[in-house]
Amino acid sequence: MTHLPWFSTRRLLGGLIAVVAALLLLGLPGLVNSYQLFLACLVMTMATAGLGLVLIMGWSGQIVLAQAGFMGVGAYGTTSLVALGLPWPLAVLLAGLVAALIGVAIGLPATRLRGFYLAIATLAFAELMLRIFIEAEPITGGIAGLVVTPVVLGNLDVGGSRWYLCLGLAAVTALAVWRIGRSGLGRRLRAVRDADVAVGSLAISATRAKLLAFALSAFIGALAGAAYAQVLTYLTPHIFGLTLLIELLIVAFLGGVSYVGGPFLGAVVVIGLRELLQDIGSWQRLAFGLVLALVVGFLPRGLASLRSRIGAARRRRADTSTATPQARDVTAGVAS
Amino acid sequence: MTVLDLSGVDVRFGGNQVLSGVDMQAAAGFTGLIGPNGAGKTTVFNAVTGYVRPTAGQIRIGGQPVPPGGPVPVARLGVRRTFQTPRLVGELDVLSNVLTGLDSELTRGHGLLEFLGISRRARAARSRAVELLGAFGLADAAGEPVANLPLGSQKIVEVARALASRPSLVLLDEPAAGLSAADVDRLVEPLAEIGRADGLAVVVIEHDLEVVSRLCPRVAVLHFGRILTEGPPAQVVAHPDVVTAYLGASVAAVHP
Repeated sequence: MTHLPWFSTRRLLGGLIAVVAALLLLGLPGLVNSYQLFLACLVMTMATAGLGLVLIMGWSGQIVLAQAGFMGVGAYGTTSLVALGLPWPLAVLLAGLVAALIGVAIGLPATRLRGFYLAIATLAFAELMLRIFIEAEPITGGIAGLVVTPVVLGNLDVGGSRWYLCLGLAAVTALAVWRIGRSGLGRRLRAVRDADVAVGSLAISATRAKLLAFALSAFIGALAGAAYAQVLTYLTPHIFGLTLLIELLIVAFLGGVSYVGGPFLGAVVVIGLRELLQDIGSWQRLAFGLVLALVVGFLPRGLASLRSRIGAARRRRADTSTATPQARDVTAGVAS
Repeated sequence: MTVLDLSGVDVRFGGNQVLSGVDMQAAAGFTGLIGPNGAGKTTVFNAVTGYVRPTAGQIRIGGQPVPPGGPVPVARLGVRRTFQTPRLVGELDVLSNVLTGLDSELTRGHGLLEFLGISRRARAARSRAVELLGAFGLADAAGEPVANLPLGSQKIVEVARALASRPSLVLLDEPAAGLSAADVDRLVEPLAEIGRADGLAVVVIEHDLEVVSRLCPRVAVLHFGRILTEGPPAQVVAHPDVVTAYLGASVAAVHP
């Protein structure tokens, strides 16, 4: 077994880093200016949306290009339900359920498609959702846009409330996705991806697992959309178009699409790039496309996989210099 | 008592008759299924487990006809199988791979309880998986990503996954192929013991006749999609038709 002992310097160090990071995040409104806090909110929002992609693209291996659309459902749904008088948390939940239903509706035909065909089909659904955001003027305000009512928590200011909202959603989602990854559903999804032929013989329904993944990732996308609306304060349909989709793909893949920490890494990079590339206008899209192509081409498992890859390379080197296959198993066990 | 009963099973792919009128029974204990390459052994497994629909004949598992609808409903009857090349989840550790064999029991509410970390069934599944890994000498590798394991150990992990849910019928497709002599011992002895303890019916496709005779008191021989003969391994291997099937007619004439 590779469990660390209950007490070790490594554990202590890890715990210390976690506590310091948590304190920094909780105290962030007092440490940075309001624009930096706004960027941090964006990071958390993008990371939350990316966590949905970890489930469906990372674990179940389905290429689904509709996450920007689900964010739109969450953003518009929450905003218009709040306008109807619903409290924000309930509005988010309802918008999330709507997104999950749409996710299942997209998933139903999609469970018969694979790879490229699935990608194209889901992209078509995303375009359809965009079209609906434009046409459903009474709800979305059409291309003229929709003003978002800011949520205020207790006696915090708007910026602070927004931060704790985004941070809270990201943290809860990350915790939930991490638990799913270690539970039966997480195993089933990975089995659908890697052991396609075998899942049926284990009495696991691949269709059911895929549909659950569609619903959950759409729900998470809608949560992120609700937070995104708070950050942007003003919604227009084209926010939820191709540019956002490509950014989300970078968020998911740059960090590592099968790691829960991956989207956070990816989101920092994407929001950072957005800041750096502000002045090049529409060339931004080209730059993001290029980054995505490079990541998928050279680092398909993302930055988060570098650690294990470096570890593996080190082990290989140790192997060739020292010893036998048995020794390799032992070092592998200790290192991981 | 007969657990698996095939009678007159035909499987045809287009114009290619892969199985013709296969009659075969398996009771609790180990039954071998041998035959030259291309005889249709794996197709028998595919027909039993719902991967392939027979064009004629009857397959009964525990007295019930094989339900339609592919592998899932058959697996729900308590049937598990392995594959010639192990189909595992490389990224998951060894323990989690064995647990996938028990995950179908975590549906309807239990998934949620497990998510919250309070499912008794999930805890029982975990201890069953740990127990199996111990039996096969893989306890030390439990936390290791299965992709890092040598092929021999991966095949044993797949067998453990098949046994995890205490099925009533297990079909093992060449479990010893590619295994070292040490791995074969690591596989065969615990397998025989678990099979006996759990009262399993196990059908084993295997080319290694030593493994077959160690495990199986009874062997059926398949050749060109037909059952040639069946009986105790020593008797079956000496059968002239079997020698002909494996080695050709001229050799059979020399070794009557």
